[in-house]
Amino acid sequence: MAVLELSGLTKRFGAFTALDDISLQIERGEVHCLLGENGAGKSTLCNLVFGVHRPDAGTMTLGGEPFHPRGPAEALQRGVVMVHQHFSLVPNMSVAENLMLGRASAVLKPQDIIVRMEQLAAEYGLEIDPEARIEDLSVGERQRVEIIKCLLGDPQLLVLDEPTAVLQPDEIDALLAICRQVALRGKSVILVTHKLGEISRVADRTTVLRQGRIIETVAMEGADIRSLVRSMVGRDVQSAGSVLAAAVDIEGKTPAKPSSAAGPASPGEAVLQISDLVYRDPHGVPRLDGLSLTVGTGEIVGIAGVEGNGQTELGLILAGLAAPSAGAIVVGGTSVGGCSPQEITDAGVGIVPEDRHAVACIKELSVAENLYLGAIGKFSRFGLLDKSARRKAAEAMMRDFDVRASSPDVSMASLSGGNQQKAVLARELSLDPLVFLLAAQPTRGLDVGAIEAVYNRIRAARDDGLGVLLISSELEELMAVSDRIAVIYRGKLVGELAAGSFSREAIGAMMSGHAHV
Amino acid sequence: MVMKNPKLARVAQGARLELVPLQVLVPVVSTIIALGIGLIIIAATGASVVEAIEAFWDGMAGSDFNIGASINRAISLALVGLGFIFASRANLTNVGGEGQIAMGGMFATAAALHGAGGLPLGLAFIVPLVAGTLAGAVWGGLAGVLKSARGTNEVISTLLLSFIALPLVYWSVESFHLLRKPISDVSSLPESAEIPDSTKLPLLFPDNGSPLHIGLLIAAIAVVVVWLVLKHSSLGLRLRAVGLNAMASRRAGMRTSFYVILAMTVSGGLGGLGGAIMILGQQFYLTSDFSSGYGFDGLVVGLLSRGSAVGVVIGALLFGFLRSGSINMEISAHVPSAVVLICQGLIVIIIAGSAILTNRKVTR
Repeated sequence: MAVLELSGLTKRFGAFTALDDISLQIERGEVHCLLGENGAGKSTLCNLVFGVHRPDAGTMTLGGEPFHPRGPAEALQRGVVMVHQHFSLVPNMSVAENLMLGRASAVLKPQDIIVRMEQLAAEYGLEIDPEARIEDLSVGERQRVEIIKCLLGDPQLLVLDEPTAVLQPDEIDALLAICRQVALRGKSVILVTHKLGEISRVADRTTVLRQGRIIETVAMEGADIRSLVRSMVGRDVQSAGSVLAAAVDIEGKTPAKPSSAAGPASPGEAVLQISDLVYRDPHGVPRLDGLSLTVGTGEIVGIAGVEGNGQTELGLILAGLAAPSAGAIVVGGTSVGGCSPQEITDAGVGIVPEDRHAVACIKELSVAENLYLGAIGKFSRFGLLDKSARRKAAEAMMRDFDVRASSPDVSMASLSGGNQQKAVLARELSLDPLVFLLAAQPTRGLDVGAIEAVYNRIRAARDDGLGVLLISSELEELMAVSDRIAVIYRGKLVGELAAGSFSREAIGAMMSGHAHV
Repeated sequence: MVMKNPKLARVAQGARLELVPLQVLVPVVSTIIALGIGLIIIAATGASVVEAIEAFWDGMAGSDFNIGASINRAISLALVGLGFIFASRANLTNVGGEGQIAMGGMFATAAALHGAGGLPLGLAFIVPLVAGTLAGAVWGGLAGVLKSARGTNEVISTLLLSFIALPLVYWSVESFHLLRKPISDVSSLPESAEIPDSTKLPLLFPDNGSPLHIGLLIAAIAVVVVWLVLKHSSLGLRLRAVGLNAMASRRAGMRTSFYVILAMTVSGGLGGLGGAIMILGQQFYLTSDFSSGYGFDGLVVGLLSRGSAVGVVIGALLFGFLRSGSINMEISAHVPSAVVLICQGLIVIIIAGSAILTNRKVTR
């Protein structure tokens, strides 16, 4: 029996149709996964169900009754609860106090909450200390508090929007187990994700969304994961199979193959030479401690390492946003150590920074403005901007790099993470001259299709003779894309592996500082 | 106000149907409501409401002279307001208009009294205008330097710089070796001598007795230039980028501290120009409190305009006329001008509050 029934739901934001004629039934007692890339409409669908937005067309029924929530309060009243990606907890209050917020009647009864928490702990395994302060809890525990908050009122339907994105692997396991428990007790769960591994472990049925439409709804028993990927992305994804498998967390991932399979690398003369680079932070702590590295033309050098071993600082220094304390950086014969970002750009260095929102783009500005952020003067005559020329150039660049936005004039913030990153790549790879590209965590937070696009771009740049330095915390990514992997540990490189000899174990050992090769 | 709000909302609804821009309607309705409340207060003080309204109207626009005086006031307010929105384009809040006016007025007076008077070809008043602009620019630019070199919050630095500028003016008109006029048998007030006639701004309509001067043209040019720079120039885009995200702007090759200093310098320069025009256009001699409140009114004009140069013009005219009316109301109808200050406050609060109405349209 269907708890929630959606028929013909359509939601537009301006000219953009976020959801188009969605019809879907959520059964009682099932875990129903919504799968799709960023921008496919998953979050919009959740927000319609939770009353944050109202549909432009279509109807919803809940438990057989018409359901048209005018706001989250009404949805809550009808037994629909949602855990958002961003938690709404008061950090300096205890768990029990947070649970009382929002449902406080005139008389607060902490003991009632604690009794209810004990019940939930017994039923679902949702154990947590009622007296603990939120700020002392881990992200996973905070999410548990959010779930408890949702379950307090004995809801019919629990909506979880990308709940696993913020969790460690063991926390993910616990969360998925909780979802199963919730479903076992006759409640329904909508779980939004783009990780296929989770879906195969927890879902009864999965609905794949793409560009605001339902592509298919499949029962998970005997379902083919590869065909789900195809539905989600809209075509066969062939490149870097193992990397994509890792990115979407498909079970039984195959060991990564060296990238020689993806195209031969023919490293030539050195394009980037870093020698004895030292960087001390403002407190005098050495973050980079005599790092030396060479990247040749036409090769991708990966930097592996546990985060916090100097990768961020290396990225900032190469971008010209931090000055090295000692050492030299030479790009194509020009010394750029301690130079300004403009001088570094002029030397032919493209930068895809680690922090997209803080460094790579200005989300309030339009896509066109971001594409030409470093070349504002290019479309200016007598100081006045020629916006139509800039728009035309931006449109061409967006076509070339498959940056999907309804117009170059929409704000960068309205783009999905993948399209933002494609725009950043477009800008950096269009620099002239360009001899070297730094890509720091280039696929962080991106969905499958965008990850593939980023890899293809980086490979194509390499094949065009660019030297590429790829800093990543994803070992799978490094092993699949790099021609050579150097391992950073406590601010220096402790080892290097050439293509063909990548081994997860060897790299892992070096990353933890245990072995030298 | 609580009772008025649903009414305002209904009016706004109607406006949407009639395609009158809400951005125009809201301030107008706000002003009417505020003036209505003002009248109630006037009645409560026991003064004659009719007499007060007459005096108010007369002061605002009762004669060519009064209209000219009102617009002259609006000119300086507009320049300070333009300075405010220029800085705010770079996400900087210049609350030091008062000090920048003071510096501008003081240096314009000094230039006019000491040397500029004998210059030919209009240089007699252009040189003091430039001197005042530069003085204001330095005063604003100082805050920019402090911000980029030391990270000092510009709200605090511009405010404190005003607290320095105002006593500086006082000092200059107190000291005979600075700007104080020699004591004569008729007057011994601490003020400067009157500036030479050649340094006074030429009048636009010398025949009908209107004091309206060419400051109007200067302000009009400033409005167009600021609008062009902020909305359509590469400089405006760079200022905006730096204000929104300094780190990303730096990565894109912009010298962020340069743009911070530039924004504050231009902002202060516009304030200084406003101060110079006050002296050269209508007051003709420097007194210790010549800038009284213009800087803060100009700040409010800038705030209410929400970054639009046209909004600055409308706001400046509104406040300029209100100020003229209130002065006359106090003189002829013996109503405290504080009542008009209360009305101004109410207008600000109602417009700011009704931003909910206009913003809602955007978020939907």
